[in-house]
Amino acid sequence: MIRYALRRLPSALAVLAVGSVVIFALLRLVPGDPALILAGPDASPEALAALRHDLGLDGSQIGQYFSWLAGILTFDPGRSLILGGDIGSLVLDALGNTLILAVSALLVAIVLAFTLSTVSVILDRKWLNSAVTAFGTVAVAIPNFVTGAILVVLFGVVWAILPAGGVPRKGFLDDPGISVQYLLLPALCLALPIAAALTRFLTEGLRSQLAEPYVTTARALGISRRRIVLTQALPNALPATVTVLGIQIGHLLGGAVLVEAIFAWPGLGHLIERAISTRDYPVVQVMLLFSVALFVLIQLATDLINAWLDPRIRLGGRA
Amino acid sequence: MSVVTEVTTDKDTATGSDRTSSWAALRSGRGLVGAVLVGLVVLAGLLAPILAPFAPDQQIPGAALQAPSGDHLLGTDSVGRDVLSRTLYGIRIDLLVIFLAVPAGAAIGSILGLVATRYHWLDTAMQRSFDLILAFPTIILAIALTMVIGPGVWTIATVIILAEVPVFGRLTRTAVLTVRQSPYVEAARAIGADEGWILRRHVLPNCLEPLTVQLALAMSVGVFIEGAMSFLGLGVVPPTPSLGSLIKEGTQNAYHSPFFVVGPLTVVLVLVLGLLLISQALAARSRQR
Repeated sequence: MIRYALRRLPSALAVLAVGSVVIFALLRLVPGDPALILAGPDASPEALAALRHDLGLDGSQIGQYFSWLAGILTFDPGRSLILGGDIGSLVLDALGNTLILAVSALLVAIVLAFTLSTVSVILDRKWLNSAVTAFGTVAVAIPNFVTGAILVVLFGVVWAILPAGGVPRKGFLDDPGISVQYLLLPALCLALPIAAALTRFLTEGLRSQLAEPYVTTARALGISRRRIVLTQALPNALPATVTVLGIQIGHLLGGAVLVEAIFAWPGLGHLIERAISTRDYPVVQVMLLFSVALFVLIQLATDLINAWLDPRIRLGGRA
Repeated sequence: MSVVTEVTTDKDTATGSDRTSSWAALRSGRGLVGAVLVGLVVLAGLLAPILAPFAPDQQIPGAALQAPSGDHLLGTDSVGRDVLSRTLYGIRIDLLVIFLAVPAGAAIGSILGLVATRYHWLDTAMQRSFDLILAFPTIILAIALTMVIGPGVWTIATVIILAEVPVFGRLTRTAVLTVRQSPYVEAARAIGADEGWILRRHVLPNCLEPLTVQLALAMSVGVFIEGAMSFLGLGVVPPTPSLGSLIKEGTQNAYHSPFFVVGPLTVVLVLVLGLLLISQALAARSRQR
């Protein structure tokens, strides 16, 4: 297992390294000198030079890159230009809110997908199967901002039973009932496409497992369909589902940007959006690197979980 | 029974070209419904100057945020512009995206994928750069690009092309490599056919099918990217209307006029579902054969 992990590590690190160079280079292309913008048009050349030094914008480009990277690796990503404060604390604050949203969305998606697919496969009714298939294909295709707009207008305005946006004022731990109300719409909006993709793959996986000879044997032994599905087919259908889940988690941050914009949720997506609109480029730089790191990490985790679930991957010659 | 039908379909494909059969997928069932839905939206967008009762940026004084009425079938927005007219004109941005940016990305990706199968070093380099592009969530990529080149229709097009190139590159590469190993290509090679002829006669026609299915999917991704970018203010610049920015304005003004958002939402839903049905019909067609 450790050997497999070590084999997968170099390519992940390579993507991360090239990604950091690309991000760094990309933001050097942004028009406008940040020091000049920050200091204002009347600043003296000395003040400008001092500010440049402060921002880490003096010296060669390569030197700047490495000092930026060193700062991030020592958890000191520098100061924000416009939003104010330390980038580290800005990101941490936002990260908490996004994690709450993302974890709730994932839970909703997983519960929804597992219930729908196992129930439809166990009961095996025609109408239920086509309903679940329709959900699996349609909900993937409908964009987040469309479901978000529908949810806001329906439940926030027309039939105003839930808050249309924001987070509970006193924090999430103060009153769980209120927190759930705030979480429900954005989490559902973020969860629907994930749930749909999972449902589709899990249902297909369970069906193809049920066609295997071991299921025929189990059936001949008189084991009920419910038990075969839950104890035999489900564990075997898991590896493919984990891969799909990994890909979906990788796209979660992108989805979160939209959902947070719709529901005024002060998370990472909201932070990226604010940093972009105020051209606070050190924040953008760190956020972009963070999102690539997250994606690489999730891919690695997906591969490792799959290797753990399926010894053929772990021991196979092809990694 | 099944043997007989198989023989006839084989004959069909031998005499007819691939193109006719993929159009046939749109002539019945799901494919037809999808084609009609997409066709309606396309027509509405193309005929916007004739159909729209007002100019898209004409402000009617004293008519802000009105509910739907005889004068304004979908109501008006916060500065008194007709939502129906703006929605019709907004469709045009999506048409641009669907019929120019997505095919452009698909073409570039497919050509890169095809070329990659000929040279090993290029293949490795291309695979890694595709990995890198795919490591950025599309929306994050859009944000980064907007920082550098500013918002606008061309930014949307660039993001869509960047997002689609790796998808089509990989798909073409896999398809080409699979077809090249098939017995009939080996047979052609054995009787002395040259590689260019094999490519034109055997490899390309047989790779087209997965690519058309993916193209329909990519078009709905294109609608998504346009909408999402305009929703975040990264896409078209106001006052030009687009479906994404209309949905955003509609949601923001929902307290005063909950009907505002209905029109643009319906158009996006019809478009996305239509493209989904088309891609499913095409996929079902290619599975049958």
